[in-house]
Amino acid sequence: MRQGDSDGVLVQRVLQGDTEAYSGLVARHRERGGRFAVAMLGDPADAEEALQDAFVRAYRSLRTCREPERFGAWFLRILVNRCRTRGAMRRRSAAVFVQDDVALERAAAPSVAEPEWREEIARALAQLDAMQREAFLLKHVEGMEYEEMARLTGARIPALKMRVKRACDHLKVLLREVDDARVRS
Amino acid sequence: MNARPLMLALLSGALMLPQAARAQTQRLAGRLPEHARAEVAALIDSARGEGLPADPLVNKALEGASKGADGARIVAAVRALASGLARARAILGAGATEPELVAGAAALRAGAPSVFVERLRRDYPREPLVVPLAVMADLVARGVPADTAAQSVLALVRAGVREAELVAFRQSVERDIALGAPAGAAAAIRVNAAERDLGATALLPGQVPPRPRKP
Amino acid sequence: MHGSAPDPLIARVADALRRPAPLTPDFDVRVMVAVRQAPPPLPLRAWTWLREPRVMAVSPLSGLAMAAGLAGILLVGAVGRQPSAVSRQEAVSRQPSAVSGGAAASVTFVFVAPAARSVALSGDFNDWDASRVLMRREASGLWTVDVPLTPGRYRYVFVVDGRRFVADPAAPRAVGDDFGTPTSVVTIGGGGTRAAGGSL
Repeated sequence: MRQGDSDGVLVQRVLQGDTEAYSGLVARHRERGGRFAVAMLGDPADAEEALQDAFVRAYRSLRTCREPERFGAWFLRILVNRCRTRGAMRRRSAAVFVQDDVALERAAAPSVAEPEWREEIARALAQLDAMQREAFLLKHVEGMEYEEMARLTGARIPALKMRVKRACDHLKVLLREVDDARVRS
Repeated sequence: MNARPLMLALLSGALMLPQAARAQTQRLAGRLPEHARAEVAALIDSARGEGLPADPLVNKALEGASKGADGARIVAAVRALASGLARARAILGAGATEPELVAGAAALRAGAPSVFVERLRRDYPREPLVVPLAVMADLVARGVPADTAAQSVLALVRAGVREAELVAFRQSVERDIALGAPAGAAAAIRVNAAERDLGATALLPGQVPPRPRKP
Repeated sequence: MHGSAPDPLIARVADALRRPAPLTPDFDVRVMVAVRQAPPPLPLRAWTWLREPRVMAVSPLSGLAMAAGLAGILLVGAVGRQPSAVSRQEAVSRQPSAVSGGAAASVTFVFVAPAARSVALSGDFNDWDASRVLMRREASGLWTVDVPLTPGRYRYVFVVDGRRFVADPAAPRAVGDDFGTPTSVVTIGGGGTRAAGGSL
């Protein structure tokens, strides 16, 4: 793969038969995909499977990507869907965090080191409703505009704003104490 | 026949790009009389504008087309389904998936009291409700009174049944009815049996449902 | 960035989440292996509706891992004859096909019609186009076809000899028929786990 080939160029090459050119798209989009999937699903192994699944599906349906220059956004849509599906499957078998337990465990921690901070974030995210978590990640981590989120999810902008707001409110409640302890330490 | 729209629908589920949306209404081309197609497309656009899924509406139109129904009947059916989906969404919430809305609309149309659907969603905000709603609808279609069907499903869900067990319950009830049992009695007996098996007791009105169990 | 300034705590959370997630070192390799094995993105291949049929399937609900189900048998005679009485019998499902939540599960549809010349399946999952899903006839007069279905609720009918719409006697009926012919429904759930939360 030549350094700097745009997504559009790579997509066209793949569609013309150069399968190996797809590895360029994978390399370019796996970081962002990976962090979304891990944040969304909570479990790195699940996230990798969802991510791999999404890449394969994207490859197989590459011809339906109408704007190859925007492969990233199109791919993210596929990944969001994979995570939704996988999340629904996992939710039924995963232990459900009950809010009291989280509060109890938080109270026991005197100061919060960096890995624990990320763990606390993960636990807080896991407590959000899946649609709120998804909207929060797309807005605040992926930095999407609401118009783009609406196109990607099919939800309407007011609904998305509500989800993001609820997610933020909930996260603030869950993480305020931990964050205070961390900032102080 | 071009399978591209179906592929898109299967891949994207509830997520829709504008080109996918156009592809959906293209599925109607050549299947419906033109005036009906235009009316249905308008209904679908308006439904989509309200955030309702378009696929079920397209399917309903195609069902009518394949059965040779006249345009007016098709339009009426699509309109009825759109309002059914809207009603389901009002109860199940904006986060409801397309299958949940379809199953919810079916359950409500079957006569499931909306309070039961509300309770199901309120008590289990994170669980997919497709199967409980579908079983509710299927039981009513089989002759179980709507209240009984809804209460049975709610009781079983609270008792912690698996989706497969809900389906088994429905099949047992159908078997009993086929063998001559009155529909309502069949359902009631099977619910009690299922709850006994699970060691659960039915909730009294006003009781809070049990928390999901931790390992 | 845009709009009002984000809450500082939220900003810290987002920062932490923006770190790239560690993927296993051979992730790229594994993806490309899968990609090379996949059919290329040529003009879209339609799902192959017609496949090798599973032998002796039960109702469409075999996909929900049921130990026992109803097998409906409707004998459809030649033109003009009324269907004979429906006899229901219990049958053990041989291969409960697992439903992996979200992914398409293979559902087998079965219809008994020894005298039919053709039987097709028409429903929500194939644009109600009976010409797309022709069922395969077994020696015994059983007609079958496998269809991949993602979780959801699908209406369908069998189309006998190209013109007669027959509901599936083994399946639940659709609620209220809009077009004057009885319609069947199949529901695919997400995997048979606890409907009320908690762990398995």
